[in-house]
Amino acid sequence: MSVTGESLRRFLLRWSGVAVFLAAWEVAPRLDWIDPYFVPPFSTVLREAGVMFRDGTLGMHLVVSLWRAVAGLLTAILIGMPVGFLLGRRLVGVEQALRPILTVLSQVNPFSLLPVFLLFFGIGETAKVAVVSWVSLWPVMSFTITATRNVDPAQIRTALSMGISRLDLYCKVVLPAALPTIFTGMRVGAGLTFLILVAAEMLGSSAGLGYLVHNSAMNYLIPRIYAGATFIVVLGFLLNRLLLHVERRLSGVWEAGAFVTGPAGPAGAARLPGPAVSVAALGAVLIFIVFGGLEVSRINREAASYPSEALKHFGHIGQPVDR
Amino acid sequence: MATHGDGTHKEDLKIVLKDIGQVYHLKKSADGSREFQALKDINLQVRAGEFVALVGPSGCGKSTLLDILAGLTRPSSGAVYIDGKEITGPALDRGIVLQGYALFPWRTVRRNVEFGLEIKKVPKSERRGISDHFIRLVGLEGFEEHYPHELSGGMKQRVAIARALAYDPEVLLMDEPFAAVDAQTRETLQDELLRIWDETKKTIIFVTHSIDEAVFLADRVAIFSSNPGTFREIVEVDLPRPRHNSDIRSSAEFGWVRHRIWELLQSRPSQECREGGNIVVKDAISPSATI
Repeated sequence: MSVTGESLRRFLLRWSGVAVFLAAWEVAPRLDWIDPYFVPPFSTVLREAGVMFRDGTLGMHLVVSLWRAVAGLLTAILIGMPVGFLLGRRLVGVEQALRPILTVLSQVNPFSLLPVFLLFFGIGETAKVAVVSWVSLWPVMSFTITATRNVDPAQIRTALSMGISRLDLYCKVVLPAALPTIFTGMRVGAGLTFLILVAAEMLGSSAGLGYLVHNSAMNYLIPRIYAGATFIVVLGFLLNRLLLHVERRLSGVWEAGAFVTGPAGPAGAARLPGPAVSVAALGAVLIFIVFGGLEVSRINREAASYPSEALKHFGHIGQPVDR
Repeated sequence: MATHGDGTHKEDLKIVLKDIGQVYHLKKSADGSREFQALKDINLQVRAGEFVALVGPSGCGKSTLLDILAGLTRPSSGAVYIDGKEITGPALDRGIVLQGYALFPWRTVRRNVEFGLEIKKVPKSERRGISDHFIRLVGLEGFEEHYPHELSGGMKQRVAIARALAYDPEVLLMDEPFAAVDAQTRETLQDELLRIWDETKKTIIFVTHSIDEAVFLADRVAIFSSNPGTFREIVEVDLPRPRHNSDIRSSAEFGWVRHRIWELLQSRPSQECREGGNIVVKDAISPSATI
């Protein structure tokens, strides 16, 4: 009982900052402390979000953005993990030689690279997916290098003493041992993904959350800007939370140092979900990639079939709104 | 002592270490490359079913020698023979148990124990029976589906022992396996190890820095000196078996053997430490350990 009371208190304390912020957002425009035309009250923004949700606009933009983010992240993982593995364990000398250039590349401001990506890949989906993979590739790769290099030598010695084959050593020891750290890299990559994706969608796109915000700004639909922006924040938060949850679950089990003394019971002990859960999660991602991809191309086709509409939006890009 | 009669003595030899030497080339200093002699003139003959302990100061090359026995490191000179055949690399005829448990945290107790069997490509149906047997042998029945992080240090080391035994090696190599557990658990594990040794008839090479532990467990204790690491003397432990921690430690014979080994270890006092040898040895050993 007291435990639930305590956790409730902590929960309230933790979210009080958000509550105060939202209250201020609601009250300040209403009392004319700030111009309600520039900053509409939170309830107005919520109502706008509700309207967009009901007519399907929000869902459509969400699917497009999410598809791009997931496709980009998957590409980064498919490239970054094997390369990181190779550089981390097999080509240690090569990694040392490449480290400066890898550092420089990962430090390149991705926003400044956007025009280059548009040049190479056009304004189609490839450009967006490419720019997203570019930013998330570096954290995935560098975390994989670190993770595979820091596998407990005793685990490797034990496996080697059994005459394990190199392939088995990688699949049965190095990969699982490195997984929690690799997952951290994926989470960092996912965070950057959303940042760059919204920017990319603002520069050249006909759908997606970034486009939604940009297009609303072009058309002076101020509450819509805030609704879109808020939605992006919430989405990024949820995505981060999901990945953090998986990561904690993994490292809870991996943490070999923290052992319980006395009879070990199942109470509060972290358990790994069965392989069925991982397979289901992977399947869901794949299904989303395929069907989301079909949906995205349909949306793109529809946007293209209203040339006047599209032209109107793109025509504004060169002229920033004066504020 | 596990003497099997003098007539069969020759055929009973399980492990022969012949003139083992290990030299590390350290980083070049101004006056050219420096060499570090980690091991020198190591000779040892171990009978089948014998329990030999290696004691010595830390950094004297005990672990290096164990790596050589495991086939993880090739010696610079000399050779190791098991059953008369020279070893050239790691194989499943030797099981290894390390100080840090080195369990695989993503595997349950059962799947940890079955690891070597998977490497050996033992079919799944047979694996279960074998792991059941060895989990029972180390007294962990009921914990088959637990993960390592749910176990205490002593229990983890039991899993490590069961894992090393499961693929049925004839030789068990143990590198300070009980160093990380508390004193009481340690004594329990020592009793258990002797029971398991008696049941499985393995040949055991046991590295430790505890004289008590060496005397209690072993048939013979090889005493290391460092810089270069070599055997100062090999002491026979003539204590009766079966031994139990409760009674044998207070016996006069135990105290006498213990004191003798202690004197041997003291006879060239801490010279090796003063030369900073420990640090150098550590640096020199670690690359071979990570491979």
